[in-house]
Amino acid sequence: MLDFLQYTYMQRALMVGVLLAVLVACLGTVMVHKRLSLIGDALSHSSLAGVALGLLGGFNPIVGAMATCIVAAFAIEAIRKKLGNHSELAVAIVLSTGIGLAGVLSGFVKSSADFNSFLFGSIVAISAFEARLVLILAVVVLLAFLLLYKELFFISFDEQAAAIAGVPVGIVNAIFTILTAVTISIASRTVGALIISSLMVVPVAAAMGIARSYKTTVLWAALVAVCSTVAGLILSFYIGLKPGGTIVLISVGFFLVFRGIGYLRGRRGSGKAGAFAADGDKGAKSGSEGGV
Amino acid sequence: MEKVIEVNDMSFGYTQESVLDHVTFFVEKGDFAVVIGDNGVGKSTMVKLLLGVLKPTSGEIRVGGKKLVSISKTNIGYLPQNGGSRAAAFPATCEEIVMSSLYKKIGFARFPGKAHRAKVLEALTSVDMQDKRRALIGELSGGQQQRVMLARVLAGDPEVLILDEPTVGVDAESVDRLLHILHHLNIEKGVTIVMVTHDIEKVGPYANRVLCLSEGACREEALPQATIVHAHAHSHAHGSAEHVHCANCNHAENGAPAHDAKHCAECSHCGAFHEHIHSHPHHGQHGHADTDGKGAK
Repeated sequence: MLDFLQYTYMQRALMVGVLLAVLVACLGTVMVHKRLSLIGDALSHSSLAGVALGLLGGFNPIVGAMATCIVAAFAIEAIRKKLGNHSELAVAIVLSTGIGLAGVLSGFVKSSADFNSFLFGSIVAISAFEARLVLILAVVVLLAFLLLYKELFFISFDEQAAAIAGVPVGIVNAIFTILTAVTISIASRTVGALIISSLMVVPVAAAMGIARSYKTTVLWAALVAVCSTVAGLILSFYIGLKPGGTIVLISVGFFLVFRGIGYLRGRRGSGKAGAFAADGDKGAKSGSEGGV
Repeated sequence: MEKVIEVNDMSFGYTQESVLDHVTFFVEKGDFAVVIGDNGVGKSTMVKLLLGVLKPTSGEIRVGGKKLVSISKTNIGYLPQNGGSRAAAFPATCEEIVMSSLYKKIGFARFPGKAHRAKVLEALTSVDMQDKRRALIGELSGGQQQRVMLARVLAGDPEVLILDEPTVGVDAESVDRLLHILHHLNIEKGVTIVMVTHDIEKVGPYANRVLCLSEGACREEALPQATIVHAHAHSHAHGSAEHVHCANCNHAENGAPAHDAKHCAECSHCGAFHEHIHSHPHHGQHGHADTDGKGAK
């Protein structure tokens, strides 16, 4: 049953996949609630331009991906501030630029197989060096996420109020941007640039169907991402499917099931909700009588 | 009285044209001041200036006697317009939302403790939302969401509370409830309140000052006469003598208000009469006219 664990490449793929799933879910929760769900797409497409640069320039494509991802992330923040009411266009502009650059540069890459491996990833072909890189990244990102949890929560909820309360919004946003860019560039090598953005958003969307707080949204999103990754890897091992795509499709399955549960719970609870509201109103009345 | 907010000859414009033109006014400790004015006269701009989000092009704002540099260094709480509805789509409990305002007390990159959780419960209790502390904010009514947002501000123990149209999009019963809570905070806890509103009929009874913005200027207006309660209730709560400003000459009269109906006091400066209003609709207390025009320009 667990014969896939006999293979070193599968052990490594599982370890890297689980670590990345947790990281991506944590970062994705902040992104989704900052209403920047598509930022993952913009950064992952920009990372492809860096991959092409790396392959053309003869240096590690992951380093190229990291550099372009960080530049793209800060460009999004800068353009957002300039565009005011149309700030959401910043993501589209950077995404388009990333695709355009990647498309043009990939035409000069001699080995298209190398470039394509970054499109859909190759989680089962991860080297020991890449596994160590992911392990270090996981420790750094998780530590930063835990330490900045309440700051990230506050900024996601109300950036202006956070600034008024003294949260160093600029610094926290910059740290978050760098962590996201680095995570996406490394993940593009493993699960693929076209898939990482889905993994950032879909588990969070699934979690929001059943979670009862922000903290449980993060935990459920991480659980969905981990389960999707493990199930996707096992399925791809036994059935011979592409792991990246399988992982994303399983997370979409979780989304549908969790949203269905949320919907049914809402319908069943609508009677209770009525009672809840009535109680609330009663409480409000009694409070107003005795409150002042 | 101690001036907690002073705006001195302040001007501001987004372009060459001034939205606020040499505005001067102040708010004293314990005031319940309402800022009124038509749409587009600069009420929200004024709030942003008081919060330090915008900087005046000339003049200055002083908070607690010191020039305003950053609102995070003052003890001002801020309740934004439609704060509750903006929170509705966010998957957080009331407890988590109120906890966010304890940021300064918890500290950068630190975790909340038992004392912080107790503070959150205290803030939710003060707006009668303690039973809903584990409820998702999106599951509450608009009025309840607004009360949770108020609890979030109160958890930071503000001395001054700035509210930007908090009654917009909230049903009448919830507006009454919110105003009762604010009145209680103002009278019992001495929280100074500055509220931007269009709803002067509802808010007027709780206020002691009305600041009217019009054509870039700010002037102080008389309160609606028949509904005034603030000043008298304040003197009851604190047992203090009361300032009464003459509607005619703006001269401040000292002394406790008379409690008998239709009693009038003569201004020692110009001879005009202040009218003492009998019986408040909410509390059955005596009110006291306070038609001051102090400090506004």
